[in-house]
Amino acid sequence: MINRRQFIGKAAGAIAAASTLNSVGALSAFGESRRVPPSDQINLGIIGPGSRGQTDILAFLRVPGVRIAAMCDVYEPRFDQVRKITGEQIPAFKDYRQLLDLKGLDAVIVATPPCFHEEHVVATVQSGRHVYAEKDMALTVDACDRIVAAVKRSGKFYQIGTQYHYAPWYQEALRRIHSGKLGEVTHIYAYWHRNSNWRRPVPDPKDAALEQLINWRLYKKCSGGLLCELGTHEANFANYAFNAIPESVMGMGDIVYWKDGREVPDNVQAIFRYPGGRTFSFSSITTNRFEGEQIRVYGTGGTLVLTQAGGMAYYEPAVANSAVPQALIVEHGVTTGASFAAEIPYNGAGEALVAPEGLEGNVNYLAMSSFIDCLRNNKRPAADERAGWNSGVTIALGNLAISSGQRINFADHIKPQAS
Amino acid sequence: MRFLFCAQVFAIALFGFALIPNATPQEQLFSQVRPAMGTTFTIFVYATNQERASEYFEIAFDEIERVEEALSDYRPTSELSRINRLAANETVTTDPEVFKFLQTSMEFSRRSGGAFDITVGPLMRAWGFFRGKGHYPTAEELLNARKSTGWEHVQLDPQKRTVHFDIEGMSLDPGGIGKGYVVERVVDLLREAGAKTALIDAGSSTIYAMGAPPGKIGWTIQVPRPGDRTHSISSVVLRDTSLSTSGNYEKFFTLNGKIYCHIMDPRSGEPVQGTMQTTVITPNATDSDALSLIMFVMGPEKSEKLLDEIPGTSGMWVLGEPQKSNVIQWHWPGTSATSLPNILPTNPQIAIMKEEQQ
Repeated sequence: MINRRQFIGKAAGAIAAASTLNSVGALSAFGESRRVPPSDQINLGIIGPGSRGQTDILAFLRVPGVRIAAMCDVYEPRFDQVRKITGEQIPAFKDYRQLLDLKGLDAVIVATPPCFHEEHVVATVQSGRHVYAEKDMALTVDACDRIVAAVKRSGKFYQIGTQYHYAPWYQEALRRIHSGKLGEVTHIYAYWHRNSNWRRPVPDPKDAALEQLINWRLYKKCSGGLLCELGTHEANFANYAFNAIPESVMGMGDIVYWKDGREVPDNVQAIFRYPGGRTFSFSSITTNRFEGEQIRVYGTGGTLVLTQAGGMAYYEPAVANSAVPQALIVEHGVTTGASFAAEIPYNGAGEALVAPEGLEGNVNYLAMSSFIDCLRNNKRPAADERAGWNSGVTIALGNLAISSGQRINFADHIKPQAS
Repeated sequence: MRFLFCAQVFAIALFGFALIPNATPQEQLFSQVRPAMGTTFTIFVYATNQERASEYFEIAFDEIERVEEALSDYRPTSELSRINRLAANETVTTDPEVFKFLQTSMEFSRRSGGAFDITVGPLMRAWGFFRGKGHYPTAEELLNARKSTGWEHVQLDPQKRTVHFDIEGMSLDPGGIGKGYVVERVVDLLREAGAKTALIDAGSSTIYAMGAPPGKIGWTIQVPRPGDRTHSISSVVLRDTSLSTSGNYEKFFTLNGKIYCHIMDPRSGEPVQGTMQTTVITPNATDSDALSLIMFVMGPEKSEKLLDEIPGTSGMWVLGEPQKSNVIQWHWPGTSATSLPNILPTNPQIAIMKEEQQ
């Protein structure tokens, strides 16, 4: 039996080795070749083309040679919506197994609620297709483990839908963090604040089953709530910034405003402790959007502020720490004047995190085009199953902390082989 | 000439209203305002309770954000910005929605003989209206901008869904049609979601009236005198149709007493002179946004044929200068415009300032 300290060290080490952005894993570990047969066209199927799935479709269709070839949803109105988007009479199924029985699909987009991700992802890779799976990987650590195991067994590619993983300014932020330009990064604060009820209209509000189908994000059966649906992006970034997954987490969440029958909290706060005592704090509320969505990275040498549109770096003023000629102070004296503003939060002129040449475009497009490039060139996705597992277990245990009211130690819940 | 000076005191512009019932007396009016697309979007909707209204706002503003992320030329991360960066050097595949938007834009360019042109981006930059309040360009700046403008240089391949610019330096600017498109999308989504009575207002320049408030035959819209929102020159009641207004008073600079507004005539490469405001009513919001601009650039006589081709369309022009202007109404269903010369401020900016101070 491995003790906690040994395990965290091993897990963190394994993750650190595997989690550098854009790193390419050892393909030999996957056995068979993953290359898509040579073809100008990549045929994609989609399971769950709801609102997010339709955004995925639009982004994939910006990539040359990609076609949406089949779809599956239990809610039939989605079929017409997708056909309207694509302009094609795409075959549609209510049972995902019928979609997977089709010949000629190269990969499948899984955009169902996270409670179904394990079933749909495992079936997809077992059918011999690569998978682009929406985040979060799954709602529990065990389900995340089983997905990773199935993907490894299949030899197929898995890319998690944390699209900001591909944002050039996120990558530049990580480069600055890991190069030491920010000094020692000790804390990351992330906010995703909104002022709305997070509900979708239901054609027949009295139909309870339809309400739960459309508004699945609000019900525990299928949803990990705000921490899962929004915090996964930030947790993914924190894991890469700290090159580790957390050691423990404390959290709170409650329904304080939107008392409309929902089951998941309308606000959550969680503090994740990483090795060395570094912390990642996440807050999501639905009653005020002043902060919006942003990540603040605090290092001894500066601060990074990342949003959905870009990033800025603010460097701390130099802290004088040199010996002072005593005579100067003693002979000349100290000059008086209006008080300094030394304690005013420093946020002087910032420096934009500029996207490198050739990395232009919407993050959804960047993530999807990278996935297609991986299929065509037999490359492991940057946000692969390891990235998905890292953020998946981070969020799963964060939600466990919130629901239990207890501090959760990761080593009590993670099997070493899973990493 | 078929310009009509409508004599009716009060009329209604409507489109297919018989299919859609009024808001019920049990419904209340809710509204939400959010910044988007460089302006402020306001949505008014009748709903049975706040929860239902919030659901409508959620899908509406999510859609506005989604479309802005696709079509904004101010966001470097947008799909349109990606096309602007790459399309001169390579053939860019884009998604069906953006491709269709570009096709629609090109169709308006063709039908207006280039009076409407989303390749106007370089001209907007040369005249300082992109992220700025405007300036008079040098001859070289203007020449270079004109060389990089022209809708005929945008090559669209429907089979491959690709975009290519056949000259360097081009830049698509959706300013004359983008807000109308997003209003159209929001209308579709609200209807799909079950909303029957709503007003979608994109910074006041494009307004879609869906259904009618309880006890009313439609939504009343006031058309202001140019640059002065406190005074209406005509009111019109709309139902299931769209209205757009273009004006020379929101973004402009003056030089030697001459007003240079942000609305370009792409054919001359210079801001339009002699028109202060145009307003159009037509069933579709994308169309109304583009048509108000076309009316502004082409003037009444040359716009007529195009307007006549679109059923349910009517328009109004305020021409001339602030001190001496005249109003032309074409099939206009609203009230006759009040006499303008006596009430117009000498400087439209003064009127805007007064409004802001209130």
